[in-house]
Amino acid sequence: MKLNTAMTVNRITDEIWEIPLSEKSGMLVPARIYATEGILQSMDSGVFDQVTNVACLPGIRRYALCMPDGHWGYGFPIGGVAAFDVQDGIISPGGVGYDINCGMRLIRTDLTLADVQPRLERLMTELFRKVPAGVGASGFVRLSREEFGRVMTHGARWCVERGYGWHRDLLRMEEGGCIEGADPSIVTDHAIQRGINQLGTLGSGNHYLEVQVVSNERIFDPVTAAALGITGHEQIVVMVHCGSRGFGHQVASDYLHVFEKAMRPYGITVKDQQLACAPFRSPEGQDYFSAMNCAANTAFANRQVITHQIREAFGTVFGQSAESLGMELVYDVAHNIAKVERYAEGELVVHRKGATRAFGPGSPELPEMFRQIGQPVICGGSMETGSYLLVGTDQAVRDTFGSTMHGAGRTMSRTQAKRTFRGEHLQQQMKQHGILVKAVSMSGLAEEAGLAYKNISEVVESVDRAGITKKVAELRPIGNIKG
Amino acid sequence: MAGTFRFLEEIALADLAFEAEGETVEEVFRGATQAVLESLANPATVSGGWERAIERTDADHSALLFDWLSDIVFWKDAAGVVYREAPLTLTREGNVWLLRARLIGAGVDQRTQELHADVKGVTKHLYEFKQTGACWKVRIVLDV
Repeated sequence: MKLNTAMTVNRITDEIWEIPLSEKSGMLVPARIYATEGILQSMDSGVFDQVTNVACLPGIRRYALCMPDGHWGYGFPIGGVAAFDVQDGIISPGGVGYDINCGMRLIRTDLTLADVQPRLERLMTELFRKVPAGVGASGFVRLSREEFGRVMTHGARWCVERGYGWHRDLLRMEEGGCIEGADPSIVTDHAIQRGINQLGTLGSGNHYLEVQVVSNERIFDPVTAAALGITGHEQIVVMVHCGSRGFGHQVASDYLHVFEKAMRPYGITVKDQQLACAPFRSPEGQDYFSAMNCAANTAFANRQVITHQIREAFGTVFGQSAESLGMELVYDVAHNIAKVERYAEGELVVHRKGATRAFGPGSPELPEMFRQIGQPVICGGSMETGSYLLVGTDQAVRDTFGSTMHGAGRTMSRTQAKRTFRGEHLQQQMKQHGILVKAVSMSGLAEEAGLAYKNISEVVESVDRAGITKKVAELRPIGNIKG
Repeated sequence: MAGTFRFLEEIALADLAFEAEGETVEEVFRGATQAVLESLANPATVSGGWERAIERTDADHSALLFDWLSDIVFWKDAAGVVYREAPLTLTREGNVWLLRARLIGAGVDQRTQELHADVKGVTKHLYEFKQTGACWKVRIVLDV
């Protein structure tokens, strides 16, 4: 087997691979990669180097993990999962990512492809108008600094209180859309200035809003799908992928700077500057955790305001209220976050960077409605291929700190993709395949070509076979909005 | 003289990496500045009207460039602008570098401007500012 690393990588099962402690000096635990052999062979060298760097961080427990959609990132690989003891472990912005609480949201409808197809052009135009995307875009919500502080502490709850959503939406979000322990007083003025006008905006890069179809033959678990409001029969659903925008990035940058200076007094050395960290219980560690929660709540609020706008757009185009169109939230889940969770080892700070929480049916943390089926997991593929709805398993809780994959994962750099594809041509080609794309930037569109990503079906198969998430349904795109 | 830059294909799969070079540190600053401006939008499609003067000092030219490029990203979000140009001078007084720059641009307008990526920040991943012979060079990865 030819891999992009000289390290020894041992096969544990067909979907689990382990790099032993002997492969890098300073490793405290082995590194484990979840992937099929084919996916493992396609992984870039950064994955192997970075996951073993993570295995050297103080207080890490059991394994440094990487999911099958893993690729090179800053500090941690994208797809990285690591858990640190709350007493002697660290917290690292590099283990969360710059886009704090970047996440996925799925909204169901009672509409079918037959209902939507004749009005698709109008629907996408209306969505494009109502959900600002791209560089420098600002949202319609105008906030005072005081009110922005309430967004940081209340997250999606703030939105519902202001009429941007329904109370029952909150039951279908990780942490109810509001994480406790957010303190706006330790967020910098720079971060506030960057974020205060961005509520309800998509951003650019790989962020998107997608109208999708669920066909009967692509439902793998009809009972679970039905419990989540997914009924098939060419049903229309809407997926949103975005996070905390410039605000979250500034929080991450600010604390990377703080941690670079804080490491020496705590006697911490790291293999990569982007793994800068501080003891979780230190003042610096607690401040970052609190500021990160501010950004995480802002991301929940961002996706909630976008949901409000999506409901408004559908209401306008179909001449009915969003409620009568059955536009209920299926779930909202974070894939860039650090959280304190309890496992066999005790309380751990679980870092998920480009990885999704995947609690199984037995998890007491889940609301009653998910206790029988497990927590929904939403994985976005490329705009040309499709996405997946899955559910978490008790095995994930046992094996991967309740974590799984988050998306397809890139195989081609943005610069290479822009050289290889032309946005206008891609847009035309996708239209011929029944996918209507509205994009702010044609070069940005080229960067997101399907061939720049791994085959999401193969990535999903590997986590399904490994037992850390179970497939529920595949979602096929018919309309996409990109920044 | 202006420095030059080129985007790199083989690193930073999900983001944007570039290398800027010049015969002086100031030229590298100009090249890197242009790379960030062009990552956001085609400067030729951006009019003027919005302007901000920025002065920064630092004993470390590498840290100064990082902070200056971060300023460009910050004002993009804080003021909702993209840029036409960013003229700058870099001088050295004793051990301290002094940057005097102006950001010139306009509010984002999707109808008239060719917009590119919404750069979220400058990162220190693979960040390297070095002199090789008579040439100065910096490698930078932008998070998008």
